[in-house]
Amino acid sequence: MTQPAFTVDVDHNQYLPEGGRDVSAIATVTSDGTPAVTAAEPGVGSAEIIIVDCSGSMDVPHTKISQARAATAAAVDVVRDGVWFAVIAGTSFAKPVYPPAGGMAVASPQTRADAKRAVNGLRAGGGTAIGKWLQLAYQTFGSTPATLRHAILLTDGRNQHETPEELAAAISACEGNFTCDCRGVGTDWEVGELRKVSTALLGTVDIVPDPAGLAADFEAMMRTAMSKQVADVALRVWTPQQADIRFVKQVAPTVEDLSGRRTPGSPQVGDYPTGAWGPGESRDYHVGIRVAPGFVGQEMLAARISLVVSSPGGPQVLGQGLVRAIWTDDEALSTKINPRVAHYTGQAELASAIQEGLEARKQGDEGTATARLGRAVVLAKESGNEDTARLLAKVVDVVDEATGTVRLKKKVADEDEMALDTRSTKTVRVRKEHA
Amino acid sequence: VTAIDGRSTEDAPCPNCGQLVGVWDGYCEACGTELAPPVVSSGTPGHMAQCPVCTADPDSPAGGVSPDGYCEVCGRKVPADRDHVEVDLGLLAGISDRGLRHSRNEDAMALATSRTPDGQVAIAVVCDGVSTSPRPDSASLAAAQAAVRELLTAARLGDDMEEASQAAVRLASAALRGLAGPDGAPACTYASAVVSQGCITVCWVGDSRAYWLAAGDEAGHGPVEPDAPTRPVTEGRAATASASPTPSALLTRDDSLAAELVATGLLSEEDAMASPQAHVITQWLGADSPDLNPHVARFEPTGPGVLLVCSDGLWNYRSEPPDLAGMAVPKALTSPLDAAAVLVKFANDAGGRDNITAVLVPVPLGTHDV
Repeated sequence: MTQPAFTVDVDHNQYLPEGGRDVSAIATVTSDGTPAVTAAEPGVGSAEIIIVDCSGSMDVPHTKISQARAATAAAVDVVRDGVWFAVIAGTSFAKPVYPPAGGMAVASPQTRADAKRAVNGLRAGGGTAIGKWLQLAYQTFGSTPATLRHAILLTDGRNQHETPEELAAAISACEGNFTCDCRGVGTDWEVGELRKVSTALLGTVDIVPDPAGLAADFEAMMRTAMSKQVADVALRVWTPQQADIRFVKQVAPTVEDLSGRRTPGSPQVGDYPTGAWGPGESRDYHVGIRVAPGFVGQEMLAARISLVVSSPGGPQVLGQGLVRAIWTDDEALSTKINPRVAHYTGQAELASAIQEGLEARKQGDEGTATARLGRAVVLAKESGNEDTARLLAKVVDVVDEATGTVRLKKKVADEDEMALDTRSTKTVRVRKEHA
Repeated sequence: VTAIDGRSTEDAPCPNCGQLVGVWDGYCEACGTELAPPVVSSGTPGHMAQCPVCTADPDSPAGGVSPDGYCEVCGRKVPADRDHVEVDLGLLAGISDRGLRHSRNEDAMALATSRTPDGQVAIAVVCDGVSTSPRPDSASLAAAQAAVRELLTAARLGDDMEEASQAAVRLASAALRGLAGPDGAPACTYASAVVSQGCITVCWVGDSRAYWLAAGDEAGHGPVEPDAPTRPVTEGRAATASASPTPSALLTRDDSLAAELVATGLLSEEDAMASPQAHVITQWLGADSPDLNPHVARFEPTGPGVLLVCSDGLWNYRSEPPDLAGMAVPKALTSPLDAAAVLVKFANDAGGRDNITAVLVPVPLGTHDV
């Protein structure tokens, strides 16, 4: 399988005033459009695990467990021939559903039919211990040589049957081993809890308020997973010796702060995980660097951003971009704000304003909630994030969109609040040519 | 036997194919190789192999330089070849330097010599990229390259140098029109000088300058009063040579707001130079330039001296002809490259706020010991 190439397009104001130190750049990373190599041989390529919550609450209402069965079957249907797959049932412990004896099967018409039969037998009953589910997924993936490892985790409730520390330990053991998309069905689960899983495991988190929507969602997730071609891609950031990295964030399609996830290669080089990539996929990263000040007229390379994949011959660099800094005494140049940097700075603030506002609302701090959600309304409008604006309007009454004057709604549906929370990190992109 | 410009005074073998070529030949009759090609300050796209800052610091670890020219330790851009270019063709020599405040060298120079039946010819072109235009470094290089080629061909054919200068600057302008793109129109200033036996032809657009620096003025007893730096030169025909040595003088008149204000008597030279608009040029080469109206002047100096063609990175710091003569002469009479180094160092010591280019041609041609 040939490795895809990546392009890294850096957009920033490279001019700094005399004594200036902060360089802020948007790096757009795009994998090339090479079509997926079909029918990966067993023994290489992809592995998929579907983890289905089978706790007692999944029976209330009964449609939850029946729709979860249907959704799992729909996801199994789109697993490509030759891909390793398994289904795990989760309660206060975890047990294999298919293959029944554990391990993973290679997808074929026969194994998919067997798996769907096994899934049909899923019954609800028991508690919720998400850490144990992740542990079994980890062991199960370990039974194959596949490198593209992805899981879908479905739950409807809180992680009641293990401690937060147990869950955290399980998450950290799985980090870098597989990626995981999380879905909460209904409104009795905890957004913050599932977000911990999805963030660490480089996946998404979302609410599926109505169990009837599960099948379409699972199928879509599985199709996306099937499109991935290259696993364990890292964003490598080189900086000069006397420079500090202030932050590294993914800012599109969603905001994910990667700053704390640096794996140092050398004092000047660090790798940040980005998970798996499909052909033609494009993401934006916001990188902030503090460099040693230079004199007017000096040019410095503030950072070199590259994409690195592990290969049998060692890490392979698949494209790079340069973040330059030039000191100037021309204020017209140095004070210019790059529109895309400004846009994503606003989008990151939008996500935190929503999360802080909802948290304050939950704590009964109406003043903070009104202020933060009002700020979010302004930011959503400024950046043209209409989806988020629509979700915000279900939680607050907007009096004046421009100034962010809002009133908290007295009655808010749980699912609306959770949808706003889970989708707060979704960003809209601005393209360079429109900037 | 080797002549002053490095070429044999007799028939000599072509450096490419070994066939004998004539003294006055521009090209080898056998293989077509150009025998004395013009030299342009493009440099190669290369850069220094080691970071000058980190190698000077004993505490800094050793590090290489990336293929794109950055120090792998401190990240600083290491000097590129074009940042400092020295060209010595014997008959004339020049230096183009980035200065201290700009991140790249947007000046360009092109030098050429020719041996004709009428005697030797030295050609110098200096262009200064307009910083507010896109790709000013490409602009200056393209203009200098196009112009020197035209001037050299004309010199080899023995053409009239005033006409050739007009043609060369128009070709340079055409080259810049070809560079215009979606990002705008690259632009630069222009100054050319052709020195043949007894005659100097200068041509300019913008504020790059040509000076006559008379031997003897360096002692400070030149007849030029210090307060009259921009003595206008008659465009077209120059004054006939007089018996006394020609004093140091500015041979060009800037196309700049400052020069226009001074010319109309609205401002004094000193006030004009101090005004923020002093460096606003009123004419330039580029696709966005209004009608091109290049200036051509002919000058026949009596007595020995040196022709200086330079960018404003030099004359910003010292514009009086006798002052410049004081720095460059008499060294330039015998060693134009060393004298150019003196001028460039002076401008850098004074602040180096702009790119600096200085080309010196000792006159009469080829009398100095090379």
